[in-house]
Amino acid sequence: MDADIKWLDDPTIFRVNQLPAHSDHHYYGDYAEWQHDDSRFVQNLDGQWRFKFAKTPQERSQGFYAADFDSSDFDHIAVPSEIELSDYAQNNYINTLSPWEGKIYRRPAYALSQDDPEAGSFSSGKDNTVGAYLKHFDLDPALRGKQIRVRFEGVERAMYLWLNGHFIGYAEDSFTPSEFDLTPYIQDKGNVMAVEVFKHSTASWIEDQDMFRFSGIFRSVELMAQPVTHLEDLDLRPRVTDDYQDGVFNLKAHLAGEKDGTVKVVVKDAAGNTLVDEQVPVEEEVTVSDKLIKDVNLWDNHNPYLYQLLVELRDADGNLVELVPYRFGFRRIEINEDHVVLLNGKRLIINGVNRHEWNAKRGRAITMADMTSDIASFKENNINGVRTCHYPDQIPWYYLCDDNGIYMMAENNLESHATWQKMGAIEPSYNVPGSVPQWKEVVVDRARTNYETFKNHTAILFWSLGNESFAGDNLVAMEQYYHEHDDSRLVHYEGVCHTHDYSKQIPSLDKKNYLPAGGTKDYRDQISDVESWMYLPPKQVEEYLQNNPDKPFMECEYMHDMGNSAGGMGSYISLLDKYPQYFGGFIWDYIDQALLVKDPVSGQEVMRYGGDFDDRHSDYEFSGDGLMFADRTPKPAMQEVRYYYGLHK
Amino acid sequence: MAYTNKLQLVYGDGTLGLASDGFHYIFSYERGGLESLKINGKEWLYREPMPTFWRATTDNDRGSGFNIKSAQWLAADTFHQCVGIDLTVDGKHFDQLPIAPLNNDYSDHEEAEAVTIKYSYKTLTVPATDVTVTYDVTADGQIKVTMHYQGHADLPELPVVGMRFIMPTTATGFDYTGLSGETYPDRMAGATKGTFHVEGLPVTKYLVPQEMGMHMATEAVTITRNSTQNNADHDDQPFSLKFAQGETPFAFSCLPYTAEELENATHLEELPLARRTVLVIAGAVRGVGGIDSWGADVEQQYHIPADKDIDFSFIINAK
Repeated sequence: MDADIKWLDDPTIFRVNQLPAHSDHHYYGDYAEWQHDDSRFVQNLDGQWRFKFAKTPQERSQGFYAADFDSSDFDHIAVPSEIELSDYAQNNYINTLSPWEGKIYRRPAYALSQDDPEAGSFSSGKDNTVGAYLKHFDLDPALRGKQIRVRFEGVERAMYLWLNGHFIGYAEDSFTPSEFDLTPYIQDKGNVMAVEVFKHSTASWIEDQDMFRFSGIFRSVELMAQPVTHLEDLDLRPRVTDDYQDGVFNLKAHLAGEKDGTVKVVVKDAAGNTLVDEQVPVEEEVTVSDKLIKDVNLWDNHNPYLYQLLVELRDADGNLVELVPYRFGFRRIEINEDHVVLLNGKRLIINGVNRHEWNAKRGRAITMADMTSDIASFKENNINGVRTCHYPDQIPWYYLCDDNGIYMMAENNLESHATWQKMGAIEPSYNVPGSVPQWKEVVVDRARTNYETFKNHTAILFWSLGNESFAGDNLVAMEQYYHEHDDSRLVHYEGVCHTHDYSKQIPSLDKKNYLPAGGTKDYRDQISDVESWMYLPPKQVEEYLQNNPDKPFMECEYMHDMGNSAGGMGSYISLLDKYPQYFGGFIWDYIDQALLVKDPVSGQEVMRYGGDFDDRHSDYEFSGDGLMFADRTPKPAMQEVRYYYGLHK
Repeated sequence: MAYTNKLQLVYGDGTLGLASDGFHYIFSYERGGLESLKINGKEWLYREPMPTFWRATTDNDRGSGFNIKSAQWLAADTFHQCVGIDLTVDGKHFDQLPIAPLNNDYSDHEEAEAVTIKYSYKTLTVPATDVTVTYDVTADGQIKVTMHYQGHADLPELPVVGMRFIMPTTATGFDYTGLSGETYPDRMAGATKGTFHVEGLPVTKYLVPQEMGMHMATEAVTITRNSTQNNADHDDQPFSLKFAQGETPFAFSCLPYTAEELENATHLEELPLARRTVLVIAGAVRGVGGIDSWGADVEQQYHIPADKDIDFSFIINAK
C-alpha cells in the first residue's frame, strides 16, 4: 500500500496499518529490569532527528522517505518537541473558532451534505504546515531478531510513517499512542525512519481545543521488541463486593507470540503478602476469575492503596520470558437510587481541576518533572480530582494519579467547538461529529483507544466523551462503546445539555443561551450518566438540585480562574452541604498557558500569550486561566482553593 | 523647632505647616491636599494623597463589561477637583483660609493642640458627587484621615473607594496585621489571620497586569523604605511609617504602580521601572468574581453600589 495525501481530507480514514490499541502496561525481561525500569525490549528514539519544514503540502519535500534520499539539507529538531517552538511555524492561541478563521473558508466533509466530501480541503490547505522527520538508527542488540513495533506516544495531528523506504502506516488522534509493526522492513543496522507530520487534517475539526495550536512529534517515540511470548493486552477487573468488605480479582490477558509455556499470575498486597498465585498454560486468551480477597483495602484519595500484580510468562523450560508488573486498586463507583454518586459506598465529592499539559518553554511536550510537580501541588492544595482536558495525557500521569489517589475524568481527544458555537450562540448547522455517518467511526475509535489504553487505571472514575462538541448519534455511539466495555466506571459528557429543554429543572435559564434556535433532538437520556454543566452560576446549580435531580450534578468546568479571579467559591462549596446529588467539579483550570520567551526590548524572559506572535485571529490572554502561573508557581487565589477544597476532603 | 507638647503651626500663604518633635507636615491650599509628610527628616509623599476610585480592571471586570459600565470612575481616579478647604484649629473654624493679609497677625511661634483640615472634592463623573477627606492632626503627630463618599443613585458601581498615597521611592517591604495572601471580599475564606512581612513590592504575575495585591481586613500596615529623593540625605538606614485602622479595619494594597499604570500595560514587561510606592488604603473593595470571565458579574453582595454613602478612617503615623 502507498500513502495517500487525500487521507487528510477523509474523515473515514484515520488509522492505516495501526496496531490495535491495548493496555499501557510495561514489560520486562526479568525482575532486575523492572526494578531499574530499564526493559531490554525497549529502545527509545527520542533525541535529535533530521527535519525539514514546509509551509504547505505542495512545498513539502516529497519522497524524503526513500532509503537513498539525500537529506543533507535537512535541519535538526528535538523529539519530542513542538515544531512551532523551534520557530518554524507561527505560534497561535485560539479558543473556540477554528485556527483558519478569517483565512480559509472550510466546512467539514459531509456535514452540510452527504454529497460533499470537501475534497482537497486539507491536502491542498495553504495553512497546512508539514514537518518531515528522519531518524537513522541501528537496533539495539537486545531487540534484534524479534518482532519490532514503533510507538508514537503523541503526534499532532496527522502522520505518515515509512521505514527504509516502505510505507508503514498512517495515524490521527494526536494524543493517544500510535503503534505500527516494523518487523517486515526492520534491519539490524542502518534503518531510516521517516515521519511526515501534517498540522491539519479532518481531525482538526474535532481537535479544536482551546489551546495553543501546535504540531509535531511532541511525545516520546520508542521501538518495542516482542518477547517470544508476550502479553499484548491486560484487562483487569477488580471488583468490590456489595458490602464493600472484600475484593474480587479478575484478569483477562491477550497473549501474542509462541503459545507455549505457562502464565503465572500473582497478586500481592502492599506488605508483600501473596493473595493470588495462579498458574495457567499460555493460550491466546488467559483468564483468572473470581479470586476473593477478603477484607480488601479499598482505594481512594485518602488511602490510595494499590495491590501489586505480577504476570510472569515462562517458556516450556520454565525460563522467564516476560514480566509484567501492574499496580491496581479496588474501588467501586456507582450512582444510588437517590442519584448520589458513591465511591466505595460513600458519597463522592470531586475537588477537581482541569489540567492541560503545559510547560511554558516546551508547550505540551511536558516532562516527568512537570507531572510530579503537579501532583505535589494537588496534594498540597487539597485537589483530589483531575479532568484530562481535553485529550488523553501522557501515560505516566495516569500512574501518578493511581499512586496518589487522584480521581480522574479521562477525557477523549475530542472538541469540535468551531462547528456549533458562533460568538456564544448555539449554531450547530455544520456540527461534527454530530450525527454525520462519516464522522462516527473516527470518534468511536477515539473512545476505544482511550478505553483500551487506560482501562486498568484505578484512578479513572469517569470516561468523558470529549469537550464542547454538541451532541448527536455519534456521541451516543461513543457512550454506548463505554457502557458495553466497562461497567466499572461512569460516563460523562457535558455538551448534551445543549439538546435538552431545562425550563422545569433550571427555570431561570434563558433557552436561547443553551439551545439552538429552532430546537434539536433531545439526547439527554442517551448521553452521560451524570448531569454536567460548565460555569453554571451557583444559583442555577441550586435550581437544578431543588427540582428533583434525576442525574447527579457536577460542573466539569467552574471557577474560571482567568487572571486575578477565583472569588465567590464559597457559594458553590456550600451547595455540597445542602444537596447530596451535587458532587463537586473541576476548576478551570490548573495552569496558565503562556510561553516564556526572551523580550527583545528588555532582554528579560517574559510570558507571552495569544496574539503576542502576531497570530490572528487570537483569543489573547484567555489562555491564562490557571490556579498556577505558567511557571508553576501558585496564583494568590490558591489559598482560597486549598481552604474550600479542604472542607470536603 | 522648640520642643513642646503642642503642634507648632506655620501659617503660610499657600500652605499650613504643622510640626512637633520628629515630624513636619505641610497641607497645601493650592494643590488640594497634604503636600508633605516628613517624619524624622524623611519625606513620605511624592504627590498629594488623593481619593481613588479605580482599580486596574481584572479579566473578569472586562469580561462582564464592568469596565465599560463604570468607566467614568477611571477619570475620577485620574484627575481630582478640589472645591473647598476647611481649617479648624483648636476648635476654631476659619471662615477664610488664613493667608496674607490674614496671617500677618500671626507669629513664628504659633501653637495648637489639634488641627483639622478638610478637603472637599467634586468627582469628575456625570453627575458629580461629593467626597471629603478630613485630616485630624494631634500633637503626637498622628493624623486621623476620614473619607466620606456621598452616595449618588445616578452613578455606576465603583471599583474601589479609598485613598492613594504615592511615596517618593520604592519600599523595601511592608509588614501588616490582617489576612495572609492576596484577599478580596469574595476571596477571604482561605486566609489566616496574623502579622505578615512582605519583602519588596511584589507584582503578581498575572499575564495581563490587573488589580492585584489587595489585603482585606487589615488592622495596621507599616511601610519601610531606605532611600529618599533628597540629594543631601546620605543615610541608607531603613525608616518606617505605620498606618493603622480607625474604627474598623481597612483594606490596602502596596505596589510600585498606580491603577492607571497597571491598566495601561498588556504585559508585565511593559510596566515602567519601579520607582515609587503606591499605597492604596480602601474603605470599600469590589470582589473579583469567579463564575466565568465572559459575562457573569461578581456576586451581588461583593459589589460597591454608588448610591450608598461610604465612610471610613485610618491613622497615619500611628503610634
